Amino acid sequence: MARFLRIIITLLLLVGGAAFYAWYSRNGQDASPDSLPGFGFAIAGTLFIILAAVLYSRRRRLRKNRVVGQLHASLQWHVCFAIVGLEFLFLHSFGNFNPRSGTYALYGMIALAISGFIGRLLDRLLPRKIAGEAHKALTAQGEDRVESISQQLQAIVMHNTTNIQGFAPASLTGAEHAPQRSGSLVSLSGGPLSNHFPFEYKNQPLHTPWDLAYISLEATPQELSREAGQYRFVPDRKSELVRPGALMPGAQEHISELREVERAMQREQFYRYMIRYWRRFHVLLVPVTLGLTLWHLIYAAELLLPVLLHR
Amino acid sequence: MPGRVEVMLHKPASQVAQELQACIGCNECLLVCPALAEPITIDVLNRETFSGPISAACARFARACYQCGACVAPCPVGLHRDAMMMWLKVRMIRSGWEE
Repeated sequence: MARFLRIIITLLLLVGGAAFYAWYSRNGQDASPDSLPGFGFAIAGTLFIILAAVLYSRRRRLRKNRVVGQLHASLQWHVCFAIVGLEFLFLHSFGNFNPRSGTYALYGMIALAISGFIGRLLDRLLPRKIAGEAHKALTAQGEDRVESISQQLQAIVMHNTTNIQGFAPASLTGAEHAPQRSGSLVSLSGGPLSNHFPFEYKNQPLHTPWDLAYISLEATPQELSREAGQYRFVPDRKSELVRPGALMPGAQEHISELREVERAMQREQFYRYMIRYWRRFHVLLVPVTLGLTLWHLIYAAELLLPVLLHR
Repeated sequence: MPGRVEVMLHKPASQVAQELQACIGCNECLLVCPALAEPITIDVLNRETFSGPISAACARFARACYQCGACVAPCPVGLHRDAMMMWLKVRMIRSGWEE
């Protein structure tokens, strides 16, 4: 009900002002900003702009007698009064847009009103975007997705590390079964090498001979299982290892998901900053417009006061 | 820069649940909200924010909320109603209220 009342009052004021302007422009003798109707439009427009600015900011700062929903109604009236005030000030110009103080004041008012409209549009559109980005950044249970992905990545790394640790002794254990071929040069635990060498010459240990293949023609375990995956450390084109993420299966997907969540959070932050700074910009335009209007009032007073005083 | 307040991002469900439990129901956040057009009681809003069905009035309020943060400063126990409203918005997206 209050909403309809607000819309009807606003429309009546807008249509009434426009109708009077149209009638006076055709039938009036002096259709200029400094005519009586021109002053009327100026005073009415200024009053509506003042009402728009003061009522809402006063209601926002009010600490007593507050009712739920009242601030919303004040905001709606703020918008309505701003539209009506802008129209009346526009009509006050009577189509006279010479680059003087009044025109700059009008431009200031227009900029203020347009910034308010854009602000309302942003207030309507961006929260939905923010909610969409927050939805991406939360898991189905509502927890932080970044944390969840990080935990999964950590689990993958742990799993792979465990597998590698399990894999190394197993592959080298086969070598232990052929001491006559490989000796004890390799320490399974990565510790110091064994002092026992199978070949000695004049009580001096001989290192594993490079020509073992000539001693025995049997294929070494490495040769037997050369095609096995664990021996293909240098991946060729056919190797599975050339596939992206082959060494850490699942990690690439998680990392790209993590990047997507980070981008969603950056967008969310950007939208929030946009809402905040656009409001500040709108408020910042108020003193600018006020300054331009005061300049115009002083300019008009300098022109009009001598005329009025000498009548 | 002194006095600069950083923009806060959404909060996870566990923190929202804690804040809802800490709410003392003083209604201050709703009194200063410029987006709330119709009377909603704080207990209904708290109940529907976290779980359960969302009433049409709460859904309208959640859609109208533009995350201005006006509700944060007056809270006597320092809660973030805007984060709670964001969780309600996310719930609405997930339950198909918002397309």
